[in-house]
Amino acid sequence: MSDTNKKWFSLNLNSKHKQTSGSCGCGKTSGGCNSHKPKNEELNEQEFFDAAVDASIGEERRKDGFDQVFDVKMSRRSAFKKLTASLLIGAGAVNTSCSFIAGDETKEKAQIDWEEQFKGNYKLMNNDEKKATVDRLVRSYQLRTGKTISMSSQNAEEDVLFGYAFNISKCQGYMDCVNACVEENNQDRSSQMQYIRIHEMKDGKGFNFNEADDNYYHEVPAEGHFYMGTQCFHCDNPPCVDVCPVQATWREDDGLVVIDYDWCVGCRYCMAACPYDGRRFNWSKPEVPENEINKNQHYLGNRLRKKGVMEKCTFCVQRSRKGKNPACVEACPTGARIFGNLLDPNSTIRWVLENKKVFRLKEDLGTEPKFWYFMD
Amino acid sequence: MPMSKYITYNILGVLCILFCLSSCKNHGEEYHSITDKIEAESRDYHGISTSSESYIEHINTVEVTENGLTFLIPERKEEIESYSCTECHSKPLDELQSKTIKKAHWNIKLSHANQLTMNCVTCHNGDNMDYLQSLTGSQIDFDLSHQLCSQCHQKQFKDWAGGAHGKRIESWASPRASMTCVNCHNPHAPSFESKWPERYNTQKINERK
Repeated sequence: MSDTNKKWFSLNLNSKHKQTSGSCGCGKTSGGCNSHKPKNEELNEQEFFDAAVDASIGEERRKDGFDQVFDVKMSRRSAFKKLTASLLIGAGAVNTSCSFIAGDETKEKAQIDWEEQFKGNYKLMNNDEKKATVDRLVRSYQLRTGKTISMSSQNAEEDVLFGYAFNISKCQGYMDCVNACVEENNQDRSSQMQYIRIHEMKDGKGFNFNEADDNYYHEVPAEGHFYMGTQCFHCDNPPCVDVCPVQATWREDDGLVVIDYDWCVGCRYCMAACPYDGRRFNWSKPEVPENEINKNQHYLGNRLRKKGVMEKCTFCVQRSRKGKNPACVEACPTGARIFGNLLDPNSTIRWVLENKKVFRLKEDLGTEPKFWYFMD
Repeated sequence: MPMSKYITYNILGVLCILFCLSSCKNHGEEYHSITDKIEAESRDYHGISTSSESYIEHINTVEVTENGLTFLIPERKEEIESYSCTECHSKPLDELQSKTIKKAHWNIKLSHANQLTMNCVTCHNGDNMDYLQSLTGSQIDFDLSHQLCSQCHQKQFKDWAGGAHGKRIESWASPRASMTCVNCHNPHAPSFESKWPERYNTQKINERK
């Protein structure tokens, strides 16, 4: 990220210490974001970080696995070192926040980083805590970029269970949905991550994913082919949730399977557990051009992610919980996508389930996806 | 000996009762399938606070009831630039087609069924151009043009009324507002044309090489 004149905004919440001087967390290269005041502070961030790391894991850095655990010389000296290391990290934050020299914004940023670092799992938070973390993230973004976003922590509403139906005889493979999804959900532009896949399948061969093409580029609909889309199916019995070792993903009361991006450790167990290839991993730092960022965000939805965490379709939680259709539903020019509340007996999704011949993928697995396919 | 036997039976009995109790306890929350769950949990559905009203208040809508379902569709007449039609169509067509008068509708080419089945007056009312007309000659308002389409496309009409064909306007919540036929289909050339996909993933190509 040290390229000058870079037009991208790179999300950089937890790795600011690794930055080389010359650029900062906000992506600006010229002054004005106040995250660097190296000469004024007793220790600048880089030195401080190095010192802290050295003190805590100085020796271990050069060892691996088994050795780290068993070959630890715990002399009086190193024991003290380890003790002070954790104190030092704390003191660093206190230092910045109490220093007379550091600017108010630097203090506030340190305070936010500290609280964000040690916050709990979103799943276990009460409403005040949820609001607090969302406010911190909004403020943090403001401090780093000077731009204001709106982020919601809206909870699931009672008597709502979201469901989705996809008409495979209507889909023409235009991929307007994919476009809308990428823009709505602030997906990484450089790796071209996409939540939705549209598969082009041969007529008469059924759902044959081995022969299907999900990255075609020719005039559509192509003769002798039909199209069907896959994305996260928001299973009612989601296998991805069961395998998560840190409970960073769970099923909300309105049926949405969501991820706390700040709690995810990026082990990708869920990716392996999903029978539908619904989950995506951030291999690189997600990059979204500053002017294309969707500023209407939800903590569990389209807020900017970081490198090394899982993400996926959330049925556009930032939209659906406010009553809007997900971006893919709104973008589809053929009306192949139906979305609604499964618990409302008068909803259109219920009419589809009750009156059309619907089916789901891999029903025999018992995952109970809330994503049905149907034909005219 | 019989005493210990008695105790064993006793313990077994208690265990049985405990087992029954514990397995019955969760019966109210667990379902065999998602459809069972939906059915059970929607039995006492009393509506929700999420509403579509804020998303549809900027459009003028008409309430229709089709196949026993009541919903809103956008008004059509206000969308038609040259409505009302009788502003021009007050004279016979021969006069309007004379070369001295500015041309209108010159770009409309009917590409809907074949000429045996349809021409202009299959839908337009020659006697009163402000209205459409059904196959039996009754007047149909321009706002309710779906009644015209439903004469032939009954299957699509049934799906549309139910919500399986066509699109909802912005919101999934009630009150339901759906697009009507002519919001997506051009009535003079109703089928969609083929086009290129909106997106091509060059990164995926690289990864799969």
